Amino acid sequence: MESKFTEVYQQQASEDSHETDCEKVANLLDIVIDGEATSDQSEFFTKHIEDCVTCFESHQKQKLLKGLISGHLKRVIVPERLALSIKAKIQETV
Amino acid sequence: MRIIRDKRLYKGTNLSQMSEETGKQLSKEEKDARFEAELLPVLDPLYNFAYRLTLDEDDANDLVQETYLKAYRFFDYFEQGTNAKAWLFRILKNSFINEFRKKSKQPAKVDYSEVEGYYNSDDVEGEGGVTTTTDMRSESVQDLIGDEVASALNALPVDFRTVIILCDLEGFTYEEMAKILDIPIGTVRSRLHRARNSLKEKLEKYAKTMGYNS
Ligand SMILES: [Zn+2]
Repeated sequence: MESKFTEVYQQQASEDSHETDCEKVANLLDIVIDGEATSDQSEFFTKHIEDCVTCFESHQKQKLLKGLISGHLKRVIVPERLALSIKAKIQETV
Repeated sequence: MRIIRDKRLYKGTNLSQMSEETGKQLSKEEKDARFEAELLPVLDPLYNFAYRLTLDEDDANDLVQETYLKAYRFFDYFEQGTNAKAWLFRILKNSFINEFRKKSKQPAKVDYSEVEGYYNSDDVEGEGGVTTTTDMRSESVQDLIGDEVASALNALPVDFRTVIILCDLEGFTYEEMAKILDIPIGTVRSRLHRARNSLKEKLEKYAKTMGYNS
């Protein structure tokens, strides 16, 4: 999995070799908050946001957004009959 | 009663060993017990996914039932001990696209150029059936945030909603999402990025009023 990402990333990086560090960090935002970055990518990212307030803030915002979904979106309750009806239908199936 | 006996029968047995030894010669009772043990624990996330796709409890109910019946028919092809959750999510998503969407009046496929115009337009709220909270006193702040997040999410096009649910709510990896959605990992990344931008736009104004400033 990681190798595929490295591939994608390296491909992008070589295509856009002129991009600034801030642009690189912006492109890494999602994979960093999703835990999909390689250790090299994470290291580069962490170092950069220590010095760059703008990117630090973008990172905070992106984390907040993810947290709003994972922490605040209410789960719907599965109707009690659903599991029973699935079991019943399966048992009828030959 | 049959269920209880099956559970006892299968308890303490190494599942992968059992499938190796008996191949596809399992009795129906054994198969049912294994099916229930491996796949029913996914019911809760699966129902939630179905609900976020259809935005309707009855439709979610039907979609989940259909998914389990399909999974049962193809259970012989399911490799024991592999990712049951991703497998079921994939079946559900395919059912939604192939059959469910045909029945409902929604467009069969969302084109991205269409999407961009769609989520930028102002009349999105009306169609999503967004409920505004009228009685502030009866709800906690947590509920209010939850409602706001749900409204913003529900107003997104279904393809955007899907990647956000899979990633942020269910915690699937990009690789699992690629398999569930039948798209390359690069597409997962870009779709997720666009989905988040769109969601961010919808929530930003609200976040500021809630004092989330960073
Ligand atoms: Zn920067």
